[in-house]
Amino acid sequence: MGAARIGLNPAQADQPMKLNRRQIFATGSLALLGSMPAGALDRPASAVVLSVRGKVSRSNDGDAVQFDMPMLERLGQRSLTTRTPWYDGPRKFTGPLLRDVLQAAGAQGTTIRAAALNDYKVDIPVADAQRFDVVMARLIDDQPIPVRAKGPLFIIYPFDDRAELRVPQYFSRCAWQLRTLEIL
Amino acid sequence: MAVEDARDPVAAAARTARRQPALWLPLLGATVLALIAAVAWLQWRQSSLMSLAMLSGGDNLVRSLYQADYEYLRLRQVWPQAPGAVATEVDLDALQLRYDIYVSRIGLLRNAARANAIGSRADVRAALREADAFIAAADRVLGSGRRPADRGELLGLQAALLALEAPMRGLTLGAGEVVSESGTRLAAAGRLHNRLGIAATLLLAALAAVFAAFALRQLARERDRSEQLEDLAAALKAARTAAEQASAAKSSFLANMSHEIRTPFMGLQGMLRLLGDTSLDERQARYLRIASASARHLLTLLDDILDASRLEAGQMTIEAVPMDLSTLLSDIEALMRPVAEGKGLRLGIEVHPKLPAHVLADPTRLRQVLFNLMSNAIKFTERGSVRLLVHPLDGAAPAAHESPQPWCFTVADTGIGIDAGTQARLFQRFSQGDDSRSRRFGGTGLGLEISRALARRMGGDITVSSVPGEGSRFTFRVPLALPHDPDTGMAASVGASAAQRPPPRLRVLVAEDNEVNRLVLDAMLSGLGQQAAFAVDGNQAVELAASQDWDIVLMDLHMPELDGLSAARAIRALPERRRAAVPIVALTADVFPETRERCSAAGIVDFLTKPVDPGELAASLARRGTAWADSDWQEQPVAG
Repeated sequence: MGAARIGLNPAQADQPMKLNRRQIFATGSLALLGSMPAGALDRPASAVVLSVRGKVSRSNDGDAVQFDMPMLERLGQRSLTTRTPWYDGPRKFTGPLLRDVLQAAGAQGTTIRAAALNDYKVDIPVADAQRFDVVMARLIDDQPIPVRAKGPLFIIYPFDDRAELRVPQYFSRCAWQLRTLEIL
Repeated sequence: MAVEDARDPVAAAARTARRQPALWLPLLGATVLALIAAVAWLQWRQSSLMSLAMLSGGDNLVRSLYQADYEYLRLRQVWPQAPGAVATEVDLDALQLRYDIYVSRIGLLRNAARANAIGSRADVRAALREADAFIAAADRVLGSGRRPADRGELLGLQAALLALEAPMRGLTLGAGEVVSESGTRLAAAGRLHNRLGIAATLLLAALAAVFAAFALRQLARERDRSEQLEDLAAALKAARTAAEQASAAKSSFLANMSHEIRTPFMGLQGMLRLLGDTSLDERQARYLRIASASARHLLTLLDDILDASRLEAGQMTIEAVPMDLSTLLSDIEALMRPVAEGKGLRLGIEVHPKLPAHVLADPTRLRQVLFNLMSNAIKFTERGSVRLLVHPLDGAAPAAHESPQPWCFTVADTGIGIDAGTQARLFQRFSQGDDSRSRRFGGTGLGLEISRALARRMGGDITVSSVPGEGSRFTFRVPLALPHDPDTGMAASVGASAAQRPPPRLRVLVAEDNEVNRLVLDAMLSGLGQQAAFAVDGNQAVELAASQDWDIVLMDLHMPELDGLSAARAIRALPERRRAAVPIVALTADVFPETRERCSAAGIVDFLTKPVDPGELAASLARRGTAWADSDWQEQPVAG
């Protein structure tokens, strides 16, 4: 949007050094995008566990970004121990932060439609990923999560840290057997 | 009477307030607490109902049932159905995934069944048992880390997989029943909850009604009370108005009486004085002295009553005019020394050197207070001394600036003294210490009350300290301000400045309707060497003033036909300048200051109070008539 405005401004060619605030902002945004890993991502070397599609600025398989487990593991790992409705007592969940996954894929939408292996679908606001340290768990108690035990990926909110999260709305956003993120 | 009646509603209101026991208060508190507890319990129950619904929500049971059947069908879709080569890797991965998902679904269903009533259903238990049996068999081929060697192994399991259809379908059908069952349970809970809610609402409504009843009752009672208070206020107002009217009537009555009494007094005192000028034997002279003293006493009494009445009605105004303090003090000494020495008492006046000679004060009232205190002291002292000490308050040296400085006039005597109980009553009306004092010394008993009221009106006070048998000290404290210009406008000291030079023979016109007073004035004026002409009313006075030249007109204010003020105005309006400008001196028994103001407005130049004192009359003649007679008018031709 900002870039389009710069292009539409006929005066811009005459005064290339005088940028107004909006133009500086637009330039900054472009610079931010530029600072991310450029161009095509590595293709997954092993079995794909997560596909991110929709409004993504990057890709490594057609219009989608495909992740295998090592790719997710290379993103910053975060461990979170919390109680959940699905397990008795607190469990330790480890995996990349959801927002890091989104950034890695260059996601630009406002809503994430998460789909599970069993076709369960739920919409997660991108804002959740910014406001909370939402973990895309790939380990439970340091062990990989088999499909039989809601794996291999399980979205977990920090329920123990934030009381306001302990409501059905956020429980339902914790997609397990996660397979796909569609950015809307 | 109105006040008496009004006392009843107040007492009634007080009785009503006392009769209300505070019993209902704890009762009400207990009810409110019980209600709050009930509502809290309802809320808690509702929240636990909600959490129940929430727990069974999320991954709820029904969805688990359907999902298990659904995943069973998807697993069947990818299961190899015909013998042949080993499936491709891709197909095997897909099969493995669907199988794992199916296993996870059965696991979830088992957990749900364990936590729910549905777990006790025979068909559900049977379905789970058969599914577990299948999984146990299939895990030998598709369990973790295993791969099927060939299709045969999978086909061998196909019969068992197909056999699961009926139990799995049974789960789906059972789901409907689960829904209705849990719906029924929830509905029952909801019904109970609703009933409890309605009960709580009814209770609340009842309580609100009770509160409303209380509030209405209180409101009615408040209204009654305020009505009673209004009645009381109205009654008090009426009583106050009545009292004020009575007070005004009394004042007016006193003023009238004062006037009426003063008029014959003029005759009485005048005749006594004239009698004194005749040749009397010793016994007659003694009787005459007693009669004169009695008359003077009576006049003092009259003045005191009038002063007290005016102080009480708030009609007494205190002037602040430049006056000469030293003259006042020497006047007091001149008046008091003969009396004190006549009783064999020493009289001393000691004045602080810083006392200003000229101050702003009311000379008449200051004199009145000091005279009263000194007279009392002399009256109640048999031997020893009476001293007047003039000093600054607390001995502080007064600064010479214009803000009023407190000064004290202390009258100390060596008299009988006053005990503490009597001191408390001393300034009360008609109190003279005690009855024995009153019997012994006489007097109106108004003097001290008037003096203190005057002192307070001047911004000061009178206090007393005394030791019975040793004497008393009356301290008259009063703030004295310095005049802006001490040399001008000095008030003439009353009486003392009467020039004793006998006035020259003047042409005097006297307007007086009272025959006795005409006789007295005639005699008095003759004594002063004057020959007077008399008018018996205002009209006659105006006629005489218009037709002849006069040096002075003495005008009684209260006359039939035309009163003195109107006559004075008529004279001032005469066409001939000299006759219109003749000095007019008012003669009146009316001693109110308002009367003086009206006189000035009517062109009257001097004011003599009845009963007229020969000295004052002579002074006025000298002041007004002589100056007039000596003026330039004398040389002008007389018109008409």
